[in-house]
Amino acid sequence: MNFFAIFKLTIPVLMGYIPLGMAFGLLLSKLLIPWYYALFMSIFIFAGSGQFLALTLFASQATILEIGIATFLLNLRHTFYGLSMISTFKDFSWKKHYLIFGLTDETFALLKTSEVPEENREKVYLIITVLNQCYWIIGSVVGAMLGNILPFNYEGIEFSLTALFVVLSIELYKKSRLHKPFFVAIIIGLFGMFLFPPQKMLILSLCVAAFVLIVFKRSMESGK
Amino acid sequence: MESSYLVGAIIVASLATYATRLIPFLLFRTREPSPLVKYIELNMPLMIMVILVFYALKDVKWEAYPYGIAEIVGVVVAIALHVKFKNALLSIFLATLVYMFLIQKVLC
Repeated sequence: MNFFAIFKLTIPVLMGYIPLGMAFGLLLSKLLIPWYYALFMSIFIFAGSGQFLALTLFASQATILEIGIATFLLNLRHTFYGLSMISTFKDFSWKKHYLIFGLTDETFALLKTSEVPEENREKVYLIITVLNQCYWIIGSVVGAMLGNILPFNYEGIEFSLTALFVVLSIELYKKSRLHKPFFVAIIIGLFGMFLFPPQKMLILSLCVAAFVLIVFKRSMESGK
Repeated sequence: MESSYLVGAIIVASLATYATRLIPFLLFRTREPSPLVKYIELNMPLMIMVILVFYALKDVKWEAYPYGIAEIVGVVVAIALHVKFKNALLSIFLATLVYMFLIQKVLC
């Protein structure tokens, strides 16, 4: 896989991370925090919703302990991503720590669906993760520095991340041996979207999904 | 805001985020994952991805104008294009364009 092919895989994330990162940077500048904190946060935290949450907590002067706990709980869903990557990352070198660090929703989605020959896997995964983080950093720094003065109306461009998840769901569905988990996940997702509190929707839905997957293992595997 | 507060908070948020991503790797560093863990590893990603779609739509106001029409159309366009042409980039790009057009020009 050459660099251009890898870059192409990450374009949807580029289209989503730049405007989302800018929205984050903009919010940060509205709190009168200097722009280089946007840079530090996007380098060292690298979690979209986690960083927005951190800003909200900064604004309400939450204690550092509260920030730690809230961030941990918000990002707990990433534990499921790691769980799906154990055997893939198993034989990678020390660089896998960066891959683990960079396992955002979108990076996970790309890594899980990209088809890479085993011998190139570590390198390709690293490039994908680095590119994604670069988009995020660029977006957040530009947002923090330039703020509102951008000339074009890019409202709605973050829908590319929704479309990315839609497309990757179809890809995984086609590859999956079992099809029941797909339909069960649609029901759980719908249920979660309407009935769970938005802040906790993702982690609650993922827990329900894991629970159903495990408890109903036999019926998931029966039929098709 | 004091810089010591911000730096401390960023370090803590960074470690907390990394911890959530690292936990499963620590749990299964030495022991071989059981068949159950392998089953989860194999089937959970599809469920995660589907749930992420709904997560991305969680802030849509379904009960008030424009009733999430743009989001529904965008998702349907993405599905239709992807089933027909199997080109991820094309599906994502056109679905986003349609969505942006709808919320900027039609449903405003």
